[in-house]
Amino acid sequence: MTTNVPTIEQHPPAPAARKNFWNVSSGFMSWAGTLDHKRIGIMYLIGVSSAFLCGGLFALLVRLHLWEPHGMLFSNETYNQIFTLHGAFMVFIFVIPAIPGSLGNMVLPLMLGAKDVALPRLNLLSFYLWCAGTALAILAIVLGGFDTGWTFYAPYSLYTNKAVVSIGLGIFMLGFSSIFTGLNFIVTTHKLRAPGMTWFRMPLFVWALYATAILQVLATPVLGITVLLVAFERIYNIGIFDPRLGGDPVLFEHFFWFYSHPAVYIMVLPAFGIISELVSVHSRKPLFGYKLIAFSSLAIAIISFLVWGHHMFTSGQSTYALFAFSFLTFFVAIPTAIKEFSWVATVYKGSIALNSPMLYTLAFLIIFAIGGLTGVILGALNVDIHLHDTYFVVAHFHYVMMGSIALAFFAGLHHWWPKMFGVMYDETLAKIAAVTIFIGFNATFIPQFIMGSRGMPRRYATYVPEYAPFHQASTIGAMVLGSGVALMVYYLVASLFQGRKAMENQWGGVTLEWHTPTPPPLENFEEPPIVTTEVYDYSTLDLETMRTPAR
Amino acid sequence: MFAQLIQDPPATAINYIQNPAAPAAIDEFGQLEKLASTFHHVDGLFYFTYAVCIFFFVVITGVLLFSCIKYRRKTFDQPPASNTTHNTPLEVVWTVIPLIIVMVMFAWGFKGSLDMTTVPFEASRNMYKASAKQWDWTFSYPNDPAVSYGELWLQVNKPAGFLLESKDVLHAFYMPAMRVKRDVIPGRYQTLWFEPTEIGDYHLFCAEYCGEGHSTMYTKVHVVSEADYQKRPWDVWDDSTPAAAAKSGRSLYDRICFTCHSLNGTPMTGPSWKGLFVKGPDGKITGGQREVFVGGQKQTITVDDAYITESILKPDAKKAAGFQNNAMPTQALDERRIKGIIELMKSLAETN
Amino acid sequence: MSHDGHHSVVIPAPGPEFQAHTVAHHFDTPVQEFQAAKLGFWLFLATEILLFGGLFAAYFYFHEMYPETFRVGGQQLDWKLGALNTTVLLVSSWTMAMGVRSAQTSQRKKLLMYCGLTVLGAAMFMVIKIIEYKAKFDHGFLPVFGGLGYDGATGQIAWFKDYGGVMAGVPHGHIFFAIYFTMTAIHGLHVIIGACLILWIMKGAAKGRFHAGYFLPVDLVGLYWHLVDLIWIFLFPLLYLVP
Repeated sequence: MTTNVPTIEQHPPAPAARKNFWNVSSGFMSWAGTLDHKRIGIMYLIGVSSAFLCGGLFALLVRLHLWEPHGMLFSNETYNQIFTLHGAFMVFIFVIPAIPGSLGNMVLPLMLGAKDVALPRLNLLSFYLWCAGTALAILAIVLGGFDTGWTFYAPYSLYTNKAVVSIGLGIFMLGFSSIFTGLNFIVTTHKLRAPGMTWFRMPLFVWALYATAILQVLATPVLGITVLLVAFERIYNIGIFDPRLGGDPVLFEHFFWFYSHPAVYIMVLPAFGIISELVSVHSRKPLFGYKLIAFSSLAIAIISFLVWGHHMFTSGQSTYALFAFSFLTFFVAIPTAIKEFSWVATVYKGSIALNSPMLYTLAFLIIFAIGGLTGVILGALNVDIHLHDTYFVVAHFHYVMMGSIALAFFAGLHHWWPKMFGVMYDETLAKIAAVTIFIGFNATFIPQFIMGSRGMPRRYATYVPEYAPFHQASTIGAMVLGSGVALMVYYLVASLFQGRKAMENQWGGVTLEWHTPTPPPLENFEEPPIVTTEVYDYSTLDLETMRTPAR
Repeated sequence: MFAQLIQDPPATAINYIQNPAAPAAIDEFGQLEKLASTFHHVDGLFYFTYAVCIFFFVVITGVLLFSCIKYRRKTFDQPPASNTTHNTPLEVVWTVIPLIIVMVMFAWGFKGSLDMTTVPFEASRNMYKASAKQWDWTFSYPNDPAVSYGELWLQVNKPAGFLLESKDVLHAFYMPAMRVKRDVIPGRYQTLWFEPTEIGDYHLFCAEYCGEGHSTMYTKVHVVSEADYQKRPWDVWDDSTPAAAAKSGRSLYDRICFTCHSLNGTPMTGPSWKGLFVKGPDGKITGGQREVFVGGQKQTITVDDAYITESILKPDAKKAAGFQNNAMPTQALDERRIKGIIELMKSLAETN
Repeated sequence: MSHDGHHSVVIPAPGPEFQAHTVAHHFDTPVQEFQAAKLGFWLFLATEILLFGGLFAAYFYFHEMYPETFRVGGQQLDWKLGALNTTVLLVSSWTMAMGVRSAQTSQRKKLLMYCGLTVLGAAMFMVIKIIEYKAKFDHGFLPVFGGLGYDGATGQIAWFKDYGGVMAGVPHGHIFFAIYFTMTAIHGLHVIIGACLILWIMKGAAKGRFHAGYFLPVDLVGLYWHLVDLIWIFLFPLLYLVP
């Protein structure tokens, strides 16, 4: 065992050109039929990134339309379809599968020291279910679109003459794609950890994906049955949600949010995991309060099942329900706050490398502080009655969904990009893009907080003129944000064609994925790793690996 | 859908934007509309939470920026300034103090919501009924036979209770200046109350997405003095002459019918009203010819007052050809108002 | 697939009529493979239970809202046929358990026999179910053949004709049948999927794939079949007896 890399036993690398998962086989079927978690991760990455760009395009159309009070571009009907498409694409096709499907698939087995996920065929099935669900969503657009909002609230979703059944079945498939990914990660984490990889030596990204997986497995089936019932209702008029037939639309809201509140954490917990990793690596410092962060992920996962009613404070619930849901909602704030404080404490007195992944991480920490704190404002019952369904809520959840989750996804993408592709993007452009996205994002959504607290309701195709200055500021911000994202897409794609070789260990990480060649071989490790040290122990870092180009 | 992607702004939207209530006054802290009801606890808790948020935000951002400057990695191999992995007293502090703060917020908010959801006795003796449908409101007044459409009058400093009902899909009754919001759910009644404290005009929005006309489902609410309220301003309906009736009908059109019907011949969700009546060479106005579906059978009828009345009260009975797949909600208008609508239609007649 | 010089673990066949089993390349031991698949399958069963959980929640919600509808609706169902079906499924669960046992003891013919009996049970269940559905159709309670849609003017739902007028006296009589058909149809779909899986097991068993050293798929399909049985154990009293 060498002294500078004591985490695993490593033999001198073979001198010949290494086989990695990119060049081990080629041809269409070697990808379409692959069982390798890394190739599936790459396919997911391409898929979810395209979905993000589509959803982003819809967002820009929405913002452009709202430049003028009477709406600049579309009829009300078209506008309603565009914002629905934006929501549905972003939530169901991008955010939910994005981090687990792409980065999680890529990194989780590497971090655990496993050769693959436990159930590789199920992993591929999960990807194809994602494709099928997306295809049905696109089919729904072809069949006339859908204008229900991504929440599909009954009874409007039952009466509208749009392609709700198609998108409903699409969401059913996307749901099962998500379930199978989660199921796979739970089994992998339980059964495929390398020798010596105890639970408390697991990187926090694995902990976060594990907590996410529990939610995916337990909450998503309820969404599945809910959209099935909506489809039955539209086809057969079974009368469960339709008030004309004795059904109850509020029951739909309960079903929907029983899934969709945990879904918020399905989306955000992996982002927390990425940030935990990156804060530590780029500060070259063990994570502050490791166990507390790990347990807070689980605490969030459990409490998130019990707070769905806070989406329905104005629906006329009983006082007891209001009491319980508001109380528990405030409770979620605590583990979330613990995480934020721990990240900041990790950065404090670190050795902070201000590279592009860290810039995205810092942007996350600031934006998530705002997103989380405004969530506290919305948890208060009487204040929520005023702010519910206004732009304040829109801004709040974009601070979490876009500002936190998408930025964490970008951060993780930049962090693991050299690991995945073996090439480096243009760091200068990356830093410019990170700053542009940060500025554009805040310029987009801070005006929305203000107009929301002044009463501007959401999902409005037109609005009374007094809100126009805020809408226009927001639209300008969205254009800045959009150009930042476009720049990011440019230099990432360019790096694939003209990027210089990445280093073996580009950032100086010490978790297992940095202890295998870059890019990793098909079986992940040249020799099965044996873990002998604690996680995030930077005394084991071999600085030379940060200067050795990948082969 | 992409065929209709780019088009002129819909006439409906311009119509409602032309005449909203004056822009709301902003309160002294600059974040909320000036409060016009008695629910001070909403503003109190909002600003308390806001202050707490700003405090934590400044602390978090401050530590981050300070660290980024002070502890920036200047050399390739720079070790961290400290390797501390935990500090139990600190962790207990940042768990317990936020817990205490959020429990205060919870209790404050819960107490406030009890106030907002419990209709007091005075308000329950002063109940209005707000009936929502796609995409307008109809208001009934306490102990008053008249109703108003798309416009509402309230008396200042008198607690007002509301019984909310929906005829079709979900809506929500939202008055930002009063800080009240309640979902309106088909199949069940909801209640809401508030006491307006400032004379003026206010916005009433629909805050739950309800389809195409969601954003045009707007009502101007007039809070007036007791003396003005006694004049029953909602019962203004001048039908002394046909021209006056047509003018009254136009004001009703501008609040309700405009979402689906045009006056200039453009087909919208429903047929245009232009051409329903035609003017003969002698200047006499007679009903035009219309193709309609009666129970699936196509017929041609001559438009008359009875047909218009039936189409308002029972829209499904005879459905205009070309629009037979679009549903129109029943409009429970009284006789004088139907007459006003008919006079408006007749005033559109042109010589052909 | 390239194995980079790694040799996979092979479980030898216990006799000439059996096949050896190669452990998947990413597992180190057969035990690891067995436990991983088993854990994964239990999690999948949990999602199935939650999927039906939504339907059960709807059942209880509307039972609370319209108790009279559920009382009268329940009387329209034939509890004797329901009880017969319960017996059929319980017996088939026993034959499935015996099938798993036969696989564990490397008794190939017995495995084939017990699986065959279980498929027979599934078929009997579906036949009885169809007889029940036919009766409902004759009373005008069946969705599929009655057409689609809802007539706003008359308040008529196309699939719910109620020829006998038995549900006329209770509010929203169709809701009981909507829940009955949704729950039993989704359950019936699970019975059919289960039967197909058992047929697939029989195909493998005929080739001698399953024996004391490797009976994982038999075990998992057995678990699935027990779940299908278990859900019916809840459906039967709730729909036929409780009202």
